[in-house]
Amino acid sequence: MSVDTKEPVISPKKRYNILFGLTLLALLLVLWLILGLSTTTFWTTNNIANLLRQGAMIAILAVGQTFVIITGGIDLSVGAIAGFASTIVALLLANGFPIWAAVLITLGIGLGIGLFHGFGIVKMGLPPFIITLATLTSLRGIGLLITNGATISINNDEFTNFSRNDFLGVPNLFWMVILVGIPAYILLQHTRWGRYLFSVGSNAEASRLSGVNVNRTIYLAYTLSAVCASFVGILLATRIGVGNPTQAEGWELQAIASSVIGGTSLFGAVGSVQGPLLGAFILATINNGANLLNVNSFWQRVITGVLIIVIVYFDQLRRRRK
Amino acid sequence: METQNFASQSGNGTHATAAIMAADSPILELKGLEKQYFGTHALKPTDLAFKAGEIHAIVGENGAGKSTLIKLLTGVIPRTGGDVYWRGEPVALGTPIEAIKHGINAVHQEVVLCPHLSVAANIFLGEEHLRFGLLRHRNMVRDAQKILDDLGFDLPAHATLSDLTIGQQQLIATARAATRGARFLIFDEPTAYLTRKEGMQLFALIRRMQANGVTIVYISHRMEEVFELADRVSVLRDGTLVGTRDIADTNENELIAMMINRSIEQIYHKDSFEFGNPILETRNLSGKGFENISLTVREGEIVGLYGLIGAGRSEFVTTVFGRYPKSSGSILWKGEEVNIRREKDAIKLGIALAPESRRDQGLCLSLPVSLNLNLPVYPKLSRGGIISKSKESAQADRQIADLRIKTSTRSASAASLSGGNQQKIVIGKWLNHGAKLFIFDEPTVGVDVGTKAEIYRLFSALLSQGAGIILISSYLPEVYELADKLHVFRRGEMVASHQFKSASHEDILTKALGSAPANPILSGES
Repeated sequence: MSVDTKEPVISPKKRYNILFGLTLLALLLVLWLILGLSTTTFWTTNNIANLLRQGAMIAILAVGQTFVIITGGIDLSVGAIAGFASTIVALLLANGFPIWAAVLITLGIGLGIGLFHGFGIVKMGLPPFIITLATLTSLRGIGLLITNGATISINNDEFTNFSRNDFLGVPNLFWMVILVGIPAYILLQHTRWGRYLFSVGSNAEASRLSGVNVNRTIYLAYTLSAVCASFVGILLATRIGVGNPTQAEGWELQAIASSVIGGTSLFGAVGSVQGPLLGAFILATINNGANLLNVNSFWQRVITGVLIIVIVYFDQLRRRRK
Repeated sequence: METQNFASQSGNGTHATAAIMAADSPILELKGLEKQYFGTHALKPTDLAFKAGEIHAIVGENGAGKSTLIKLLTGVIPRTGGDVYWRGEPVALGTPIEAIKHGINAVHQEVVLCPHLSVAANIFLGEEHLRFGLLRHRNMVRDAQKILDDLGFDLPAHATLSDLTIGQQQLIATARAATRGARFLIFDEPTAYLTRKEGMQLFALIRRMQANGVTIVYISHRMEEVFELADRVSVLRDGTLVGTRDIADTNENELIAMMINRSIEQIYHKDSFEFGNPILETRNLSGKGFENISLTVREGEIVGLYGLIGAGRSEFVTTVFGRYPKSSGSILWKGEEVNIRREKDAIKLGIALAPESRRDQGLCLSLPVSLNLNLPVYPKLSRGGIISKSKESAQADRQIADLRIKTSTRSASAASLSGGNQQKIVIGKWLNHGAKLFIFDEPTVGVDVGTKAEIYRLFSALLSQGAGIILISSYLPEVYELADKLHVFRRGEMVASHQFKSASHEDILTKALGSAPANPILSGES
């Protein structure tokens, strides 16, 4: 077969997106290779499983966050929702609810929070930054009021074993990423609601005049993000075995960082599902590697910051040259 | 001659005196200046010399390259070829700051000031009066008031800008440019929003600045203003400089011939169709920006809405389309009263709207051509929400072929297309939607003549299928030549209605302008 390219079968834009995804994947593999060579502890079943578990939760938050960022908004509340959800699910279990009921109720509360965000933006006209910032602080407060500042421990072994167990040799938590990722991918790339998320993020007025229900699209984005966050809260509770409203602090920023590293534009209308997933695992790898290499944990934060600038800068360079 | 002038200029050095003394030398000279977008010329290589201290009018149709020229001269966009000489020295004009530093300023049709700040703050924006690094608020308000008083503007310097009318804001923008040592000031359609009094104040200000040695470029498509103000006039057509005339040596007919260069029949292709049943009827419809509008659109009919910008035409049609709620009156669709609460209701009935502003209302610029074309029809392209990718691509490709949209691929972003091709998307996305009534709001603004003709031919195709069209235009020849029925709007009211070509241009224009035309010359002579 000859190698020379004739007519481009796929558009330059698509090719660039694929290239960008592969670059992120390569970066992840290089990181893993370096860590594998420089430490004896990285390539151990335990550590990899641990890394996947840790990355999984941020990854799911990042997927939800990406829906919102594509519409041109932001959801600052996802960390707080996760902490709140961990508390709720722990309380429900402590009060004898069966697991399925506790999980469904908690997801339902996430749904309610998402609808509230949509309401605040659409009906009250509040900027997304403001309404989700308000939720961030008040949800933590409500959680503390409910628990009176105490940590709720979970004695349900069936529940807490979930995060420790594997399926086909892969940690359950990582399966959850796939469980969320595949429908999210289909929604974003193969349904009209996915198209509307992009069109609203690009130009809400043009979308409205084309018959797109802009308000419903905004409700959809924030509801998905909040439900993802409450799901992460449940996973967090299974992993740590306690519910505490102050957990998952700063995770909203990690989710936003993962999304941005994964090629999502904060101006809206640009983003994918696979990018933020890779972004989340790159961040998790850096944290994990830094621990193994005994790098001061303060430096991990600095490295994350530098990485965001470098990746987004290169992405911008490419886009601008186009 | 020219070399002599350059010599004297470099010899004497001080700019201000040079500008006044060397009155015939070019203050700004363009040599082969051009601008291309993706291989398409927005401005073909142009040679033009502006004399110091002259008022130089530039006329041309929409899309002739006037705004491109302004943007090049003010450093808003970079040129793709040619040279610019400022007082004989080559200049880059790469940024607005550089242009302002040379003394090149522009007053735009749409005011580009900070609406939340005070008049004084706007006048001194970027050149604030400071003491020890802190703002001297009172000092600035006092100075600004003095500037306004000197210019004869009865405006308070402490007022918040957004509390003023657009016309008053326009005057502030002019005053701002005048106080900044502007040596070269470009006015882009400045009277579009002005009342008669404001227009006269503006003209007085322009003459005064000319007397102070400022070179003025005046862009307008109001011929009377050009003949009243200008010393010379240049005509642009399709990105080409057709010619420059001394105002004394030319007349309106010659300029119009230069601007158009083809018979009106050639552009405004119109087929007549038998009118069928009424599609849309409004009865005393009122809403935000318009009152008591009653009109009917029948099958096979083009209904034209003419008026100045802000006359309420766009508000009327967007309300019919469900974007804004009506306050009273009724809308009948095929004879039955309907309640259109949302855009979706209108689309479901069979109304399509190609809105006024491509950028703000028409397109998702950052997204692919195919998505833009398909946006209204995704429900038809998907089953259970899942989009059929093959249908999506096929539909987009068909539209691209039918409308002859020039794009590299269907997945190229809409932003990468020329204005004309973007407009084809705005219009084209409704074509395979089975709509019965098409509303085109300024469909040919910023569109080249070839695309214009294609758009008009499209109208005929739609009419032949039994559709009705509402055509909004601020360009009288367009509605005049195309509309079977022409309604004239002024200040939110319908002030006149005419059958096809049953009134003269002058009649229609007078109605649109009302008893107090924005144009001081018109009223001065009549």
